[in-house]
Amino acid sequence: MKDPLHSPTVGGRPGREAQEARYALRVAARLSAQADALPHELGERLRVARERALERARATVTAQPVGGGTLALGREGLGWGWRLAALAPAVALVAGLLLIQALRDHEQTHLAAEIDAALLADDLPPNAYTDPGFAEFLRAPRR
Amino acid sequence: MASERELSDFLKSVEKRAFKRAVYAVRDDEAALDIVQDTMIRLAEKYADRPAAELPLLFQRILSNATMDWFRRQKVRQAVVRNFSDFESADHEGEFDLLETLEAMDGSPREESAADGVARAQILQLIEDEVARLPGRQREAFLLRYWEELDVAETALAMGCSEGSVKTHCSRAVHSLAKALKAKGVEP
Repeated sequence: MKDPLHSPTVGGRPGREAQEARYALRVAARLSAQADALPHELGERLRVARERALERARATVTAQPVGGGTLALGREGLGWGWRLAALAPAVALVAGLLLIQALRDHEQTHLAAEIDAALLADDLPPNAYTDPGFAEFLRAPRR
Repeated sequence: MASERELSDFLKSVEKRAFKRAVYAVRDDEAALDIVQDTMIRLAEKYADRPAAELPLLFQRILSNATMDWFRRQKVRQAVVRNFSDFESADHEGEFDLLETLEAMDGSPREESAADGVARAQILQLIEDEVARLPGRQREAFLLRYWEELDVAETALAMGCSEGSVKTHCSRAVHSLAKALKAKGVEP
């Protein structure tokens, strides 16, 4: 069959390509007319599909700041307030550990002071504990 | 970043053509609706933060992938049916080929949406049928290039092939259409 796009008056590749494009665009215009005439029911179902997609997009956009802030502490674009707020738990943890350490030191110091005070206030002089005989006396079982 | 309004307007502008493209490929309205919905949701979920100018190309790429996914699922379904059926002939075994599938489906009945008896509607339907009969890659190139109005480079990107292939597919598609329509006395 003779090629319907072939025209003896148009020679060379550019002319042929232009003819092809013109023909193709005419076909495309007909296809558009056909697509525009879709049955109402199909149009409605496409509208519903579009609205579902937009809902998903909305949900994705809403979820992003929470996830982004949690996942990326050092990310650029977060404000200083957010960065400091993100560091707050770590600061609280360190402060708690330091407080516990200070309390234990205080308790140990207090205990040592009590022992020293008891020793000094006792009738027995502290030097007695350095005497080997007295130490032996302490270790010997009482009758 | 595309605003919700831009995304909505974009989807509205492409949804009918996307549906038709999917119908040409899968020959089933329900499956085509599923493909278009899947495409819209994928675009909205993953690419809603992209500039509005990038949406057309992304959408076409996702639509092509969603269509291929549908054919892959069909292949799996057919394989399952084949495994559990004694009635399937050995001729259908072997590698899945999109073009073979489409050719095999050519004889199946299609839903006609155009009003019968109206000459213009008949011509439109004839043109649509001929477009649907084009080989898959030719039809894809033709529709992206001339219906979606992507340029050659964008079409190549959307189809994952070279620009030269796009030109070849388009040229062959136009010539096939011109011959087939002329044989039926149709002038678009």
